[in-house]
Amino acid sequence: MPETTNTSATPIRRSSTPRKKKKSQLPIALIVLVLVIGVGIFLGLHNSTMALYWSFGCCFGFILQKSRFCFTASLRDPCITGSTSVTRAVLIAFAITTIGFTAIKYGSYITTGTIPGQSYVMPISLATALGGILFGIGMVIAGGCASGTLMRVGEGFTMQMLSLVFFIIGSLIGANHMGFWELNFNAVAPKIFLPDIFGWFGALVIQLLVILLLYIAADLYEKKKMGITDEE
Amino acid sequence: MKNFWDKISKNTYYKKIFKNPFTYVTGAVLLSLFQIAIFAVTGSPWGVSGVFANWGAWIYELFGGSVDKWHYFSSTGAQATLDNGILNHGGSWLNFGIIAGALFATLAASQFKLKKIKGVRQIVAATLGGLLMGYGARLAGGCNIGALFSSIASLSLSGWFFAIFLFVGAFIGSKLLAKFFM
Amino acid sequence: MAEHVIDCLGEACPIPLMKVQKQMEQSAIGDVIIAQIDHSCAMKNIPEWARNNGHNVEIEEVDDGEWEIIIEKTN
Repeated sequence: MPETTNTSATPIRRSSTPRKKKKSQLPIALIVLVLVIGVGIFLGLHNSTMALYWSFGCCFGFILQKSRFCFTASLRDPCITGSTSVTRAVLIAFAITTIGFTAIKYGSYITTGTIPGQSYVMPISLATALGGILFGIGMVIAGGCASGTLMRVGEGFTMQMLSLVFFIIGSLIGANHMGFWELNFNAVAPKIFLPDIFGWFGALVIQLLVILLLYIAADLYEKKKMGITDEE
Repeated sequence: MKNFWDKISKNTYYKKIFKNPFTYVTGAVLLSLFQIAIFAVTGSPWGVSGVFANWGAWIYELFGGSVDKWHYFSSTGAQATLDNGILNHGGSWLNFGIIAGALFATLAASQFKLKKIKGVRQIVAATLGGLLMGYGARLAGGCNIGALFSSIASLSLSGWFFAIFLFVGAFIGSKLLAKFFM
Repeated sequence: MAEHVIDCLGEACPIPLMKVQKQMEQSAIGDVIIAQIDHSCAMKNIPEWARNNGHNVEIEEVDDGEWEIIIEKTN
């Protein structure tokens, strides 16, 4: 059954020949679901934390595939097509998680005096900058970042299976050289946790404002690129 | 039996949940929800690419190599993770889960297809892209998830700093793609 | 009123979209472009791009994980 979204009165003509009748993959999906649950139970008996990670991973994979959410596209599409719909979705995700994370961090801070997840406050150094550029080039060429590559392996892309192999090799080479980068750059680089500068509330408000401004900028950029003008 | 699957395929709720794609915004909201949940439960946000370095180390050790002297794996924590093996490595199961979840989502939509590599161009792109991402992710301490999504959510300036250079890289990558890989 | 078939099978993002864009530039108004894809992302971003540019778009799932996106150039 074709999904018709044609706006014109007459349907678009087409010359393609009808293919073989589609076979439902639902039975296989059911088998995979049983296997997924089976692995979960096996892990749960062995080490319940692993079962937790496994379930989270499966949910992330399902959501990524269903929504075609792609961090690569959020940065690439503005360069190639001028479309920012994925970019704006990513910004929405940033805003929601900022609120959630801040609540968890602040909650922990006022009750126990410790802040969880501070290892993700990373150094701002030449290594970070160079890493960002290399990663940015790589993800566009390979057609997917880390999560995207994994998601596409699940979708059956042989190309991404190959890029995953080289991602692992690259990671190993990177890890090997990390001593040099750590000692020369990251060790002396600042790690800036925004609440240390602006206070908890200030950091939250400033970050949300930045996200809002970026959202508006992305929207305007797309309209300009696509030549859409507001009808007012 | 065949009728049964056909019936499900035509069900409205099946179509909503499994067949039709979610919007990007729906994806953003759901991912955020699970990102917050994983942080609340485990005390550590979502990361993907750091795991690949561990996978590399395990494979390297299978071939008789040793990473014990490497600065990256020198901390007691990193050594303990390596010693405990992949079966006890949460990050690995998170990544395996992403593959399994995506596989299930594709099958449930009846859209799975094994896509073969098409020519040398794709092999070069995958090899080069993979190596660049692997090396870059280690330098920056993470990928789009760890160094970007999780860092920004953690109110770290490094996330925004990384984002700027990521964008520069994506811009260069787009140009290279149009020139060499199309 | 020509019809152009673009084979993007096995191509990952954003190559299918770039190929369609290129073909679109070379086509005349009224031409029909048929992009054959098997990449689930392209099945979302090509129609989005084409609709944003005011073309008529139809998506047809021709096989498991294979789609044909039919675009009529209108401007």
